[in-house]
Amino acid sequence: MAATAALEAAGDHQLAEITVEEPLDLVRLCIDEKIYVKMRNDRELTGVLYAYDQHLNMILGGVVEVITVTEIDPETYEEIYKETKREIPMLFVRGDGVILISPPTRGS
Amino acid sequence: MLFYSFFKSLIGKEIVVELKNDMSLLGTLDSVDQYLNMKLLNVEVTDAEKFPHMLAVRNIFIRGSVIRYVHLPADEVDVELLQDASRRDAAQAKASAKVQASQAKSQQQKGGHGGGGGERAVVPAS
Amino acid sequence: MAAPARTNPSDFLKELSGRPVVVKLNSGVDYRGLLSCLDGYMNIALEQTEEYVNGQLKKKYGDAFIRGNNVLYISGSKTKK
Repeated sequence: MAATAALEAAGDHQLAEITVEEPLDLVRLCIDEKIYVKMRNDRELTGVLYAYDQHLNMILGGVVEVITVTEIDPETYEEIYKETKREIPMLFVRGDGVILISPPTRGS
Repeated sequence: MLFYSFFKSLIGKEIVVELKNDMSLLGTLDSVDQYLNMKLLNVEVTDAEKFPHMLAVRNIFIRGSVIRYVHLPADEVDVELLQDASRRDAAQAKASAKVQASQAKSQQQKGGHGGGGGERAVVPAS
Repeated sequence: MAAPARTNPSDFLKELSGRPVVVKLNSGVDYRGLLSCLDGYMNIALEQTEEYVNGQLKKKYGDAFIRGNNVLYISGSKTKK
């Protein structure tokens, strides 16, 4: 709670800068950073985060999208993974498809 | 509201709207609303072989919730403006969440909800 | 560690902050990591996150934000990291 009081004292300007006190702060700290986004339907994106809102609608730049499709080999019944890659210079992503967001440099 | 304003600034520009059913529509953005419903003019389906029934469509209204992506014209996007707007939007959302939380709290103290002996309202942590 | 007589689910979640947790998503994927924080939508921030698909470790993330609508449950994890 002391932290919250300090934040309030710091005023609205500084409010934007300090600490991760709620999950969306993590996303805020990724602005202008390259991020990894896991989407529904086995889609993955990497790109630079330029904008986002509470719904996780986002605008990403220099996007690479990877779609993974699983097929079953009709003879051996083995799972075959196929990846399709796409590059998109500037992309708006609707938030309802988002599962996970991570700054990729430290992870994966 | 951030993205509503953003898309308003793109009215008259060509965009590709990619839907959750994998259909992609190229067209000129004619209008947009707060739900990010969009109206496109001079529409072309990018994969006409897969969606031949769309060939005759010129103008289309798209419900926001069926959109997966919108491919944007990169040179029409001011990324610095977007970054600043996002930070401002985040601070604003936080401030209004805080106000709501404290209002809910004072409601409780007044017993505003009635009933609920000993129960506490679930309030998102501020 | 006897729990107070009457708590509610969000009190439980508050207690989990900073602790190792397992988050299961609707898709069946599990995430194990340290819970940094969460909000009223059940959006979750995790540290040192491991992604398990069908019980197998698939990937690691330094930090991860999980959108709340995908969450099936959040569980305290005994395994110390």
